[in-house]
Amino acid sequence: MAKQKTHKIKMMEEQLAKKLNRQVVGSLVGCVHCGMCDESCHYVLAFPDDHKMTPSYKADQVRKLFKANHDWTGSVFPWWVGADQVPLSDDDLETLKDIAFGTCTNCRRCTLSCPMGVDTATLNRVMRGLLTHVGVMPEGVRVVSKDQWELGNQMGVLKEDYIDTIEWMSEELEEDLGHNEAAIPLEKKGAKVMYCINPREVKYDPRTIKEAALIFHAAGEDWTMPNEGWDNTNFGLFSGDDGLGGACAKREYEKARELGVDKIVISECGHGFRSTRFEGVNWAGESEPVPMETSVMTMLNYIKEGKIKVDPTKNPERMTFHDSCNNARSGGFFEEPRELLNLVSMEFQEMYPNRAEGFCCTGGGGAMSMSEYTPKRLQSAKIKADQIRATGAKVVVTSCHNCVDGLNDLIKHYELDCEVKQLVNLVANALVLDEAVKPVEEPKPGDIAVAAVAAKEPLAGRKILVVDDEEDVRTFLTMVFEDAGAEVITATDGDEAVAMASEHQPDLISLDLSMPGKDGVEAFVELRKTEETREIPVCVVTGHPEFRQVIYDRPVTPPEGYLGKPVDEDKLVAYAHHIIEHREEKAN
Amino acid sequence: MHEVSPALHTAEVIHWIALVVMAIVYTLKIRWLLSFNLGKDKSAPGNPGQSNKQRGARYSLWNVAMPWSMESTRKPKGFIFYLSFVIFHLGVVAGISLAFVSTIAPDFLRVPVVGYTMLVFLVAAFLVSVYRVFRRTLRPLMRLISTPDDYFSLLMLTIWFGLGACTQAYLMGVWGMTNETLLVAYLYLTSFFLLYVPFSKISHYLYYPFTRTYIGRALGHRGSYPVVRG
Repeated sequence: MAKQKTHKIKMMEEQLAKKLNRQVVGSLVGCVHCGMCDESCHYVLAFPDDHKMTPSYKADQVRKLFKANHDWTGSVFPWWVGADQVPLSDDDLETLKDIAFGTCTNCRRCTLSCPMGVDTATLNRVMRGLLTHVGVMPEGVRVVSKDQWELGNQMGVLKEDYIDTIEWMSEELEEDLGHNEAAIPLEKKGAKVMYCINPREVKYDPRTIKEAALIFHAAGEDWTMPNEGWDNTNFGLFSGDDGLGGACAKREYEKARELGVDKIVISECGHGFRSTRFEGVNWAGESEPVPMETSVMTMLNYIKEGKIKVDPTKNPERMTFHDSCNNARSGGFFEEPRELLNLVSMEFQEMYPNRAEGFCCTGGGGAMSMSEYTPKRLQSAKIKADQIRATGAKVVVTSCHNCVDGLNDLIKHYELDCEVKQLVNLVANALVLDEAVKPVEEPKPGDIAVAAVAAKEPLAGRKILVVDDEEDVRTFLTMVFEDAGAEVITATDGDEAVAMASEHQPDLISLDLSMPGKDGVEAFVELRKTEETREIPVCVVTGHPEFRQVIYDRPVTPPEGYLGKPVDEDKLVAYAHHIIEHREEKAN
Repeated sequence: MHEVSPALHTAEVIHWIALVVMAIVYTLKIRWLLSFNLGKDKSAPGNPGQSNKQRGARYSLWNVAMPWSMESTRKPKGFIFYLSFVIFHLGVVAGISLAFVSTIAPDFLRVPVVGYTMLVFLVAAFLVSVYRVFRRTLRPLMRLISTPDDYFSLLMLTIWFGLGACTQAYLMGVWGMTNETLLVAYLYLTSFFLLYVPFSKISHYLYYPFTRTYIGRALGHRGSYPVVRG
């Protein structure tokens, strides 16, 4: 007896009909199964014996569904064109989920290698959209999408935390410059530029906000950050949910109109740029889109127009550039980032292949939020790792936050001797501040002494519990925190950490995740569920890629911060200081 | 008009009827494709210095003649496959020409330069087609992505090329081919193709201008077509 389709599959078929337009249908009927797309895919190259990695096989999953329901031959003789192999059970959908989400980053490299012009990446996104429609998706995608629907940003950043971070960066700028003229404007009506960022910047890398603010200030820009609609990222692009895509993009557009800005400047985020600048306009049904540009163009224009001056000798290391797939293949930006990079650094080494033919960082398509596919992702990253290694570069520059995370993971995994930076880091570092933006008031001698002490021992009077099973790491973290004035206690596993936290009530716990016995994840959940330790802030310090699971699978309040190993000393102290201060402000 | 036997006359009539049927089905297929909404990109052109929908579409349409434009046809292995693609499709053109010209002006196919050119194309396409049969059946990857339609279409085309070469030899009076049945069989096989093609993968050439134009316009608008590489 033939198997009956489940309700979910019937829903998918109905949804497929709504997703069909001429371009999609063209790609569905145009494939001749020639196999030419095969070697364009980094998954194929990394798994040469697994032929299911080939792009046409992945696209065939949605093609079969189409042929069974919309194609003449497929409707009458389904077995003749493979339309008899459509999913029938919910288990089949799990397999499709693993194909659509776990073996493709929608990087579009195969699209450019198809003689027929079949847009395989778009077909994979269609399949993702069908699965998402019936609730079949990786847990990370589900949680992030939910946050973006409900909180307006993909990392569940609360408005107060966002504003607090902006104010924190303003304060840091004030400390750096000695005046408050570079304070980050929020909700400034009539400003020329509205700057939208990736929530990752708020949560894990706020220095990029500070650096951008410094550049805007140096250029004399009339700019603002919005208090809502600030998230330029869009998980609708990854999940295939056009509804979410439109909603996210609309928040930015409407806020820009409300503030009356001339244009939106999108911080260095590949998918954020693509979804805000291009796809979002269509998903949201915008008839007159607000002018938008990537911050790369903004920074480049500032230099070209003489609004800022840069000194490339400040960035002397050998650098290479990684093209974000969304910026390059789907956004048309190839030369501008290179032009900017050449203006702010001393030695640039091209990576091959590059530009439209560059390989994905392997963190694209939302892959960083799908920890169940991390081992496969890291294996596929060998292609990129080999490319980077061949350049001999000490710094991989990219214009995308997803790429930063993807590249950082592969650098750790393949033990490459380099680090990842974004153009905003390099421009800010190379910035030559003129008199107008230099400190205007000489600090008094007393202030200098206080500032020196505060700067030297920002954690004075604080108690920090360092939890790590590796003695070297414990020693290093202890030394850094003690140098910053903190009293440090240590634990070597999860059980000890919970016990010591209850007993000593530290101001902060620095928590490793991968430990023998009770690991950091279990310990973290127990800390959050225990009355005495629930309120103690936790900063995850880990070299383990699965740390993201803690953030996304959170039956408890997420950690207050995380840092990847190896840890930058200044960043660690700044984070610890900020987390503790923020917690106290909240408590008061 | 040339003199033909009743068997050949019947084959020719069926052949022309099949052509009319194919034209009707193709018209319906194009109407079907056009019945779907055309997705419009309302975003502003991507990179001001490079964005151009028309240029992107032109580039995309012509990339069939630019093996250097795609990595998949530029690399040595891919380039060999590209050459086989060219030979294969020249053979298709020769085969179609043979079917139609033989019913209208068979003497033209006996002009040595024309006839031998046709013969070379058909034989070369036959050999490439045999290679493709092996490629599709022996390579695990190709087996994984192939459907019965893929195998059948390729097998039938291989036979068609072979029969076409023999038919051309018959028309030229070479290789000892003297039996008119070859031409009759060839026309019947061509008629079958004319009826089968619109329902098979072979109709990809009908969609080719559409798919290439769409992707060309889309990427041209963004500024990533023509392909930029360093």
